[in-house]
Amino acid sequence: MAHQAHAYHMVDPSPWPLTGAVAALLVTSGTAIWFHFNSTILMTLGTMLLLLTMYQWWRDIIREGTFQGHHTPPVQKGLRYGMILFITSEVFFFLGFFWAFYHSSLAPTPDLGGCWPPAGITTLDPFEVPLLNTAVLLASGVTVTWAHHSIMEGDRKPAIQSLALTILLGFYFTFLQGLEYFEAPFTIADGVYGSTFFVATGFHGLHVIIGSTFLAVCLLRQIQYHFTSEHHFGFEAAAWYWHFVDVVWLFLYISIYWWGS
Amino acid sequence: MAARLLLRSAFRAAKTCRAAPVPALTRGMAAGGIPTDEEQATGMERIIMKAMQEGSDPYNMMKPKEYAGSKVDPHLVPSITNKRIVGCVCEEDNTAVVWFWLHQGEPQRCPSCGSHYQLVAHELPH
Repeated sequence: MAHQAHAYHMVDPSPWPLTGAVAALLVTSGTAIWFHFNSTILMTLGTMLLLLTMYQWWRDIIREGTFQGHHTPPVQKGLRYGMILFITSEVFFFLGFFWAFYHSSLAPTPDLGGCWPPAGITTLDPFEVPLLNTAVLLASGVTVTWAHHSIMEGDRKPAIQSLALTILLGFYFTFLQGLEYFEAPFTIADGVYGSTFFVATGFHGLHVIIGSTFLAVCLLRQIQYHFTSEHHFGFEAAAWYWHFVDVVWLFLYISIYWWGS
Repeated sequence: MAARLLLRSAFRAAKTCRAAPVPALTRGMAAGGIPTDEEQATGMERIIMKAMQEGSDPYNMMKPKEYAGSKVDPHLVPSITNKRIVGCVCEEDNTAVVWFWLHQGEPQRCPSCGSHYQLVAHELPH
């Protein structure tokens, strides 16, 4: 370990950035091929490669940090900056869809009837399932904070239980949203209302699934004793991401479900 | 920034209470079931953790110590070999850094402002 005179981590050569780039190429071009030539082979191959890349790259990071001790304080600081910047970029991603929603809803065009919601659209009652979904995500924010404090205090059992509960609440949200999507009286093809509704809430739902997966990985790692009471940045990153997902939902709920109804 | 402040305060706290850590069974695997860094940290992370507890900074993570730079109180520059590059910012806010090799032996002076620099042998932990 003493072959370096600095505290940083010079990573060993790795094939995963290349396989990830190839996967991105195959997924994108494969999707275009599917749209035009009715063949899913390229897209499927790309998705498989993407999943393999993610699994192996993150597995290697866990090996480097937890098992080999390369994540010194300056390295951890860099990882923190990285996660914050990534979440910031996702904030801007959602900002775009909110912009689209407000652009269309603040000055509704004549073809919509000059009103919002547009003529003929039956909106979802914001005080039914959407309100339950809000409560579910807020509760999951509490349980993930409970999990964090349990880890910092060194309490294994409550840490595992509260983290598992957080994930269950995440699944419950996804299940309820799925039911809402199935039962909704409008579709994505129903004008600009349908487009803004399903693209914004759809991407949010995807992020809930991503966040739940991240938390599930943390649960497995916690069970296997990876985290210490002082050093558990993987968990913190997952918790930050989960709070971000919760906040996006609150904005969606206020803007689209409530104001927009 | 919070991480930098945390690092600095952890460093200072470790330096001031340098008493041998009592292996109290109030934390870690024996108590709640989640290991502590003391029990589980490994590799470079462990080396740095141990060094910080002793108050040493072998990998120059902290700001360098301040010296007067005079003949009797020269800047002490740690080096793992017999020479190291020094960059002297002669006056605060200078944008032109004066770079020079500092060799083992007699103290050298910055060619621009004349501050004294002395190379000091430095061992890396292994």
